[in-house]
Amino acid sequence: MKRRDSIKTMFLGSLGATLTLKSCITSEDELMLDQVWQYNYGRTYEELKWDYKVLTGKFFSNTELKSIEKIANIILPPNDKGNIKDAGVVELFEIIAKDFSTPAHNEYGEKVLRRGLVVFDKICNVRFGLKLLYCEDIQIKAVFDDIAFSDNNDEDLQEAIRLFAVYRGMVLTGYFTSEIGINDLGYKGNTPNVWDGVPEDVLKEYSVSYDEDWISRCVDQSKRNDLAEWDEEGNLLT
Amino acid sequence: MEIIKSKEEYDVIVVGSGAGGGMATKILSEAGVKVALVESGPYFDPANPEQQTQLKWPWESPRRGAGTNRAFGDFHMSYGDWSIDGEPYSSEEGTDFKWWRSRMLGGRTNHWGRISLRFGPKDFKSKDYDGLGENWPISYEDIKPYYDKLDKMVGVYGTKENMFNEPDGFFLPPPKPRLHELFYIKGARKSNVKVMPSRLSILTKRINNERGICFYCGQCDRSCSVYGDFSSSSCLVIPSLKGGMVDLYVNSMVNEVLTDNNGRANGVSFINKENGKDYKIKGKIVVLAASACATARILLNSKSKAHPNGLGNSSNLIGKYLHDTTGAGRGVFIPELLNRKIYNEDGVGGMHVYSPWWLDSKKLDFPRGYHIEIGGGMKLPQYGIGWNPNEFNKFFGLRTGGYGDSLRDDVKKYYGSTIYLSGRGEAIPLKENYCAIDTDTNDKYGIPVLKFRYKWSDNEFKQAKHMQDTFEELAYNMGGIPLGNKPTKKDNYGISVPGEIIHEVGTTRMGNDPKNSVVNKYERLHDVDNVYVVDAAPFVSQADKNPTWTIMALSMRTSEHIISELKKQNI
Repeated sequence: MKRRDSIKTMFLGSLGATLTLKSCITSEDELMLDQVWQYNYGRTYEELKWDYKVLTGKFFSNTELKSIEKIANIILPPNDKGNIKDAGVVELFEIIAKDFSTPAHNEYGEKVLRRGLVVFDKICNVRFGLKLLYCEDIQIKAVFDDIAFSDNNDEDLQEAIRLFAVYRGMVLTGYFTSEIGINDLGYKGNTPNVWDGVPEDVLKEYSVSYDEDWISRCVDQSKRNDLAEWDEEGNLLT
Repeated sequence: MEIIKSKEEYDVIVVGSGAGGGMATKILSEAGVKVALVESGPYFDPANPEQQTQLKWPWESPRRGAGTNRAFGDFHMSYGDWSIDGEPYSSEEGTDFKWWRSRMLGGRTNHWGRISLRFGPKDFKSKDYDGLGENWPISYEDIKPYYDKLDKMVGVYGTKENMFNEPDGFFLPPPKPRLHELFYIKGARKSNVKVMPSRLSILTKRINNERGICFYCGQCDRSCSVYGDFSSSSCLVIPSLKGGMVDLYVNSMVNEVLTDNNGRANGVSFINKENGKDYKIKGKIVVLAASACATARILLNSKSKAHPNGLGNSSNLIGKYLHDTTGAGRGVFIPELLNRKIYNEDGVGGMHVYSPWWLDSKKLDFPRGYHIEIGGGMKLPQYGIGWNPNEFNKFFGLRTGGYGDSLRDDVKKYYGSTIYLSGRGEAIPLKENYCAIDTDTNDKYGIPVLKFRYKWSDNEFKQAKHMQDTFEELAYNMGGIPLGNKPTKKDNYGISVPGEIIHEVGTTRMGNDPKNSVVNKYERLHDVDNVYVVDAAPFVSQADKNPTWTIMALSMRTSEHIISELKKQNI
């Protein structure tokens, strides 16, 4: 069985368990599974339905998505470690726009993400007579030089500065939560291991040390598999 | 309306499968008592790959783990949070309370911080020390044997410290501190703040052959697939189901405890969430463990001729004395921790070190203490990482913001350089803080919902102020810079909204006097001799200790009492 099929089967199994009283999986459920199969991360049925909605709807137009891609590539230019395309950053904009669409999120997609494009386009239009998408990188950078820093007090640019900070946040968070971005960061965990303290060279680097009394009471990892036994006073014997 | 009645009569019906209900189910069923366990949410087993979130990467979620569906992010293991569709609640004007509900087998024990602190001798008799609140009708000596059994049964790591009000137990050995925790230790000692290994119910060593040992992924909030941390689902309920004495009813919302003509309980009614139908099951004894506020709600909704204002409510105290732990926090940036060498320091799911309450309240302007929890480290990236990639540039006189390749370096430079300090303190329970039935509103199952009224008093604000002063001093003594502006009186010193710390207790408080309490010292309703409450509702006060360990010790004690009453044929 292909990976996709096996995961689909698993989903069907979990849906079967969730829908104890449904006699069969409906065609709508099938359609849903077809869309969400690649995201196998322990969802409840209600959450699957929400994911389906988020993954199948369309928020940004293709032109808007191209603008986002252009902006994202300037905010975080590709290098040999990774790029926003492989990190799925533009896709994340599209998903978050739909995902944060409830009243609790105050229509984030419309009022923040799309609003950003409108505002950036407007500035480009005033300066260069062109929407952002049709500007040269050097022109866009000239605009970003004015709106990318928090120390610009120009009244007219405050909204653009706020929105740019969101775009930057989205691009970086999208990059550093992707496989390629986490490799770039160098994060080493999320895998079974045995923690046995800070590496010796790191302790030295920071001139810190474990004190003997503290460390002597910590777990001896060579005995972690021995069944714990205590005396009546609560002293560990094993 | 069609009501489906079961023919079988259970010895005991347990409502709710979290810490209290799971423990009662285990103890009772192992003693040969026939139990019906009724849970409002679905079956959950952290080892089930279809439900598992442990070891998932952020990109395995389309929203990279953002908190759209689950308040603490996609991978957090709680079905439900402070808000659940179709199950509203409200607060009286000018007050605020946030009510967390985990609707799933094991309840909130699937996501909790595993902080497992015994209440100390003083914690049961606080009124003797400061004249505030009420003493418990039991003492530390009454509950100590159950804490001891619990340590060995469930497992908790820690160290013997011989502190009067932080009793030692049967501890597994703690993990070694992480780098940022060594910075905290240094700072705390300079500030004369006691610091010691934390006490968490995570298996750093084998305690039996049914459960695995911690493999240090740092994700206990996702519930452990090898049962290396304690959850009621994995460690109590699922093993109990194998004994053949437990019938589990999932997706079953209990709305009422049923009573006979004499006002004694004889069963419960519930709504099956799958088909919307009403069911009734019969039992000789009802044990409520739905969580403090949900238990109060069930009792208050169980009106009858014998109990016109709710079951067991002749004192009119059900719902009153609701109290949550106080919380305040501060982030600290440690310049020394820039450009860290990266290695795996996930550790256990939570802190390896903490500070218990270290001062004498008699010398302070607020009555009760707090402990300090420490967070930080090079954690698994989640939605939000890199959002303000170089905000700490301001501490070096550099510009913040910008764009371009340098942002990559900024994120790497500052990764793992922040420590977060959280104070968790004891509030004084007040009669004026309560939950009650909101007669105007039903949830989607047709059950009347709760309305809350909760306000902190000066005692808590002063305590939060002390936390903030302490955090600032600790920050500098760690060689760090406290982040943001220090919360002042205007911001209520950054104190949490009641309910935000998710330690709500006290709604059916325990006591010897039926006029002044709802349950007796065995957690039995004063008014009805076959109804017990084994969640946190009977708490008279909650110390600055997280409630779970005490919920379980009390539930164990109550369950043994029930067994002895059944044997004596008293019930």
